[in-house]
Formats: sequence, C-alpha cells, structure tokens
Amino acid sequence: MGSRSDFSAQTLSVLAALCAQPLQWQHGYALARQTGLKSGTLYPILIRLADRGLVEACWQDEPAPGRPRRHLYRLTAGGLATATGALAAAARPPGRAGARARSGRGVAAPAVP
Amino acid sequence: MNWLGRAAARLVPAERRDWAEALWAEADEVPAGLARLAWRAGGMRLIAREALLVRRAGRSLVFAAAAAWTAWAAWPGPAGNIATAVDRVDVVTVLLVLAGLPLLARWLIGPAVAGPMARLLRAGAYAAVLVLTAAKPSVEQVVNAPAVVARQAATGRGLQPPAFTWFAETVFLLIVAGYVAAILVLTARRPRVAPATLAIGAGAGILLGVVMCTVTPLGLAKDATEPWLAGSAIDPVVALAWILLLGGPLVAGGMAGWRYRGPGSPEQVANARTWQGVAAGFLATGVGALIVTAAGTGAIALMPRASWLLHWLYPGQHLSAAVAYNRELTASSNAAGYFLMLLAFPIIGLIQGTLGSSWALDRGSRDSGSPPAGGGPPAPEPTGDPPGGQASLPAGTRQAPRAAPRQGALNRI
Repeated sequence: MGSRSDFSAQTLSVLAALCAQPLQWQHGYALARQTGLKSGTLYPILIRLADRGLVEACWQDEPAPGRPRRHLYRLTAGGLATATGALAAAARPPGRAGARARSGRGVAAPAVP
Repeated sequence: MNWLGRAAARLVPAERRDWAEALWAEADEVPAGLARLAWRAGGMRLIAREALLVRRAGRSLVFAAAAAWTAWAAWPGPAGNIATAVDRVDVVTVLLVLAGLPLLARWLIGPAVAGPMARLLRAGAYAAVLVLTAAKPSVEQVVNAPAVVARQAATGRGLQPPAFTWFAETVFLLIVAGYVAAILVLTARRPRVAPATLAIGAGAGILLGVVMCTVTPLGLAKDATEPWLAGSAIDPVVALAWILLLGGPLVAGGMAGWRYRGPGSPEQVANARTWQGVAAGFLATGVGALIVTAAGTGAIALMPRASWLLHWLYPGQHLSAAVAYNRELTASSNAAGYFLMLLAFPIIGLIQGTLGSSWALDRGSRDSGSPPAGGGPPAPEPTGDPPGGQASLPAGTRQAPRAAPRQGALNRI
C-alpha cells in the first residue's frame, strides 16, 4: 500500500496536491493548476483514486450565484496515509528514483507537508 | 455549451455521471478562451472514455454481424425437408431471444457486473449459441432428408411424426433460452455473484468442455474416434472427463463459497456463500455443456463440407462417399444426445455446487468466518476523516455518493 510502484507520476502529483491541504476540500480546477494536468488526465485519476477509497468527493450545496455547483475533493484518512507513504517512497532512494525517471515513470513529487 | 456538456454526460453510466458533470461544471471557473476550450475538450475525452459509447456501439455491431451470419448460414434448405421450416423458426426465435433477453435482464436485475469476467462469459455464451444455431440446420437436414425419412417409413424404425419434431424444437428453444437467461442472471449486478465465482465456475466449465471435446470431438457419436489420442491414452482422459463432470462443480462450488467475503450478518454471509457455490457449480457444467454442444454440432455440420475434417476425425480409414455419408448420418442422428447433455449437466452442477458450498459453510464456520481475501465483492470502504478528526463537511456542501468500486480495477493508477 502506497509503494511507489502503485502510482504513476501524474497520480503522485495529484496526491501531493491533495496532501498539501489534507483537511480542505479542493476543486478540480485548483488541482489542475497545482499539478499542471489537463482535465482529461486529472479527472480519470480522481475517479480511480475515489474507486480505491483514497479520495472522497462531494457537491457544493450553495454555489455562487449564477454558477453551477462544484465538485470538491479531498483525501480520506486511508488516502492520506497511502499518499504520504507513496510520496515519501517516491522521494527517498535516489537510485531507484533515477531508474524510474529514466523509464518514464519517475516523478519529482512535491514535498509532503 | 453547458447544455451540450450536460447532454453528453447523460451518455456516461449513472455511477460515473457525477464526474462528467463535475468536470463540465468546473469549466465555468476556467478563464475564457483557449484554456476553457482545452478544459472542455478534456471533458469530452473523459465522457468518451467513460461513456462506453464506442464499446456499446461496437458490441451491437458485432452482434448484428454475427446474427446476420447465423441467419445466412441457417436459412437455406430444401423445401421438402421439415427441418428447413423448423430451423427457420429456430433461427428467428434464437436471435430474438439473444437480442431481447439482455434488455429484459437489465430492466429486472440490472446491468452486467463491471469487469472483464462477466463480459467474457456473456460473449462466450452468445458465441456458442450462435454457432449452435448456425450448425444445427445442417445436422437436422441430414437426419430429415427425404431419402432417410423414406427409408425409416419403409422399415418403420426411427420415424418421428412432425408433431414430435416441433415439440423437440420447442424444448430445444426453451433450453437455449434458459442457458442465455442463466448466464445473464449470473453476470448481472443485482444477483451479486462475485467475479471470483464467475472465474472459478467458468474455468472449471472450460476445462470440462475442452477435455470432453478431446475425448470425442463428435460428442456422443459412437463411431467417432479420438484423433488426438490413440489406444490406451484415451482411458485417463475419459476418467478425467468423468472426474471433471462430477468433481469439478463440487470443487468449484466449495472454492467459490469458501472464498466469498462479503458484508452482512453470519446468516446473510452463509446464504451468500451457498449462492456462490450454486452459481459456480452451475457454471462448471453449464459452460462445459455449451462448449461440447457447440463444438460437436459445428464439427458434424462441417463433415460434408470439409474432407480434411473427416480424415482427421477417422484417421487411417478409407472413406469412400458411401462410408463418409454413413459416418455423417450416424453423427447427425446421435447429435440429439446433446439435448440430454444440455439438460443433465446443469442439474449435476447445481447439486454438486450445493454440496460444495455446504462444505464451504462448514469450513467457514470452523474458520470463524474469516475466509481468505480476494474472493467476493469488496466490503464497503470506510470513509473516515483525516487523522485528528477535526475535518467535517464545509458549510454549503453535501456528501456525494461515491462512485461504485470497480471490480478487478488495475492496481496501478
């Protein structure tokens, strides 16, 4: 659980963005800006993280006037533990990280707060 | 643009629709211009990916093509042969059953379980039924050929009145409809058959079918030889076929029941385990019977068209035209035995599967209800707050229903 081989580079970046404010609900556009991912990449990742119980989602009940309701996301307790472990593992051994980067799967994951 | 997004989101399955709508709603927050356009393009990509629209359209096209081929193969026949009329009714009914039952099943018991196992099972069952429907007319037109009927009338042996032929056809159609319905039920979401149960049952059934085809490619034809095997090598394979027929569903039922892990009271879990065992037992013999019947009937239908097949089925024999016809007639006459196989095998499977699941129940109670992981549908995931427990839903929000967990999701995300 949470080993580096479980997550792609993009998924790790999403986990890192969610880890940065684990108690806050975040919306998709903010996550896209933090991670640099396009919506077509970000949302499938969020869906799969939610399928695995790592991310929970909710709808805003009181949207801003004239705006549609927004979908909000944050890590579950299990998701936070998994993300912390995965990000730590991704940042840890430089040898393996180098190998991963060369194989295209590596990630320069943002530091876990 | 928003109406387009909302309309497109309707194409996504219900459990995923929230996500498509979420992405589309978020577009209003993205700065207007290229960035918003790119965001919406991503939304369309997500919808296309999740909607399964292409897959659904592809499935419908494949089914339409297979149905057309079946009708093309089954329709022709001599006017004076009763089998021609019977088989035309047969092909129309079977195609209607295959097209209509999934719609009825979806309405009554929900869509197919997510994951490849259910799809493979449904596709395999459909392929077997279509092959059987396409091959059956060739077999029956040989048995009911005017020359054969005239000889039967002269000798008074083997002649069947037309009413019996129509009755037998009705029984056949009911059996086929029963198989299709059973496969649709077992692979639907509401009956809650675990993917592991489907895999165990179907695996045992495929093994049984392959072994039985190996023993006698023409199923129950007495004069068929075993082209793969010679002499005493056949005996262990025959023994294996019997073991798989009687023991396969027993073991499959036991394994499926034992591996099941699901939520609920001990009584609910016990009932669910019994259900898994029964389902696996049925599949272990039902899938085998379908494979043997489709492959055997297909081989018989090919006999007059493929001389290589005749030589392969009867290796080392001099097959003059008369001998070949005799072989073909014998095999075609014996093909009726597949009726019995299609009827008897699932009953054996249901009995053995129930016995196997009772073993699993006994074993499960001794293990104090802790079967190994990986068997049944996953228990509900805890949805706890982050450590510290300070977090709660912010004002103005409500918890959205979580997307249904996907069975067999890839580990790597």
